[in-house]
Amino acid sequence: MIQMFHVYKAYPGDPPVLSDINLHVEKGEFVFLTGPSGAGKTTLLKLVFCAEKATKGQILVGGRNVARIRESAVPYLRRNIGVVFQDFKLLPHRTVEDNVAFALDVLGVPRAEARERVHRMLKLVGLQHKAGSLPLRLSGGEQQRVVIARALVNDPTILLADEPTGNLDPALTVEIMDLLMDVNVRGTTVMVATHDNTLLQRYQKRTVRLERGMLVSDEDGVKAARRLALG
Amino acid sequence: MSILAKTAYFWRSAASGLRHAPFVHFVAVTTIAIALFSAGLARGLGHLVDGLLGSLGGEVQVTVYLSPELDEESAVVLRQRMEAATGGTVTVVPPEAALERLATELGDLGEALAHLPENPLPPSLELEVPRERRTPGALKALAEELRALPGVTGVDYGEEAVARLSSISRALGYGGWVGFAVVMMATVAIVAATLQLAIYARREEIEIQKLVGATDRFVKVPFLIEGFLQGLLGAVVALVGLLAFERLVGPGLSSLFAFLVGRGGLVPLLEPKQALELLVTGGALGLGGSFIAVGRFLRV
Ligand SMILES: Nc1ncnc2c1ncn2[C@@H]1O[C@H](COP(=O)(O)OP(=O)(O)OP(=O)(O)O)[C@@H](O)[C@H]1O
Ligand SMILES: [Mg+2]
Repeated sequence: MIQMFHVYKAYPGDPPVLSDINLHVEKGEFVFLTGPSGAGKTTLLKLVFCAEKATKGQILVGGRNVARIRESAVPYLRRNIGVVFQDFKLLPHRTVEDNVAFALDVLGVPRAEARERVHRMLKLVGLQHKAGSLPLRLSGGEQQRVVIARALVNDPTILLADEPTGNLDPALTVEIMDLLMDVNVRGTTVMVATHDNTLLQRYQKRTVRLERGMLVSDEDGVKAARRLALG
Repeated sequence: MSILAKTAYFWRSAASGLRHAPFVHFVAVTTIAIALFSAGLARGLGHLVDGLLGSLGGEVQVTVYLSPELDEESAVVLRQRMEAATGGTVTVVPPEAALERLATELGDLGEALAHLPENPLPPSLELEVPRERRTPGALKALAEELRALPGVTGVDYGEEAVARLSSISRALGYGGWVGFAVVMMATVAIVAATLQLAIYARREEIEIQKLVGATDRFVKVPFLIEGFLQGLLGAVVALVGLLAFERLVGPGLSSLFAFLVGRGGLVPLLEPKQALELLVTGGALGLGGSFIAVGRFLRV
């Protein structure tokens, strides 16, 4: 589903943010992307949904070469990828409901149908009672769940979640992670960037570790969890 | 269904754009309305003057003086040739008729004419100039043409009057075009400027739209509609203004010109066709302005 071959990313004037990344994620897989702050996790996710272009190397997403994709084809690629942004990217002057519906407006989903799907999604993330609120009136965790609802509302084949539990208390973290697992079980390929080791231990999924822009390990969940347990 | 939903979304989005910056849009629409009102007024007045010229022009007549030696038969032949050449109507005025007319025009003094030993007036032809040849250039050419005909001794037409009337009409025409160009540029510039603001105000929304898979067209269309609505709204306001103006000033104008064209003969300031043109112009200019703004300021 996602394949990277010798991918480099550098911003002009800076040392490379990502170096020689080789990564293969199968359809329906669940992958944790971990590593210290500044390791390049967000950047790697951005390459997948074409928010950034690789400096070197090839990236295939759903069989399409993203490095050579036409500008006009990018929107259609993105419609198959739900993204939970680390910085949320919610519109402060639109209600929760409108923010989630945004992903459906773009597809031309009729209003009534969009409303229904949005409400179903909000219920799933436990925010049905906040549909009419403005994002700034919500807590960090609630805002995070709005972003998750928006990423999932159009049933994407790939879900990229950048620190989706960064602002959640332990109980909510479990709830949201269970939701992501559920989405994965129903066939969506999921990549979760996180530096929360307890998640890695608890869910024991394939874990890809980045350090200073390099891919330093790529292990299955059990191995990764065992290593973490050993410290 | 999808197209319908998108269309609905575009209009909602454009309308919300208008709603969210009411002051900016109010100023823009008002300015456009003033510009279009002036243009519409100038155009209406031009139309009115043209109407006046038309009814005055109906009297444009060329008098062709014939050699006294010419007999009546040759005069008729000449008349036919002239009619064929110009497409106008020609009346033969024999010397006796001309003298009679002169006598009537002179009134009491006309008595004296009766005692003349012989008629000093030459026979003449009067040509009613067809509409398409009423421009000064065409009239001049026509006069030359007629002068060259055998048996013609002189040609007389209201050279100066026609030239002056036409130059007024021409000046109005040029002025109209210059005014229209100014209005056009002003409207386009105003729409482009307000949309630049609107695009800036919604840059976050645009960014997120792109991230969730909006095509460039999807992002752009609401702005184009917004500009179109602005121009159209300006035109509607201008139209209302023109209608009010006609109500207030129209009766005065028509009595002012009544001596020239008769009561009720004045063309209306605003005909349905011109009203429609005004709306189309407003909408088109708005759309033009938004195209420029979207092209220059919307970096998607
Ligand atoms: N637009 C940019 N221009 C220049 N450098 C950038 C840009 N975006 C990111 N970087 C750099 O790339 C590196 C990796 O950033 P990235 O956001 O991918 O890290 P991360 O692993 O997501 O960190 P965190 O866990 O804190 O979110 C950082 O050193 C950052 O300074
Ligand atoms: Mg990050």
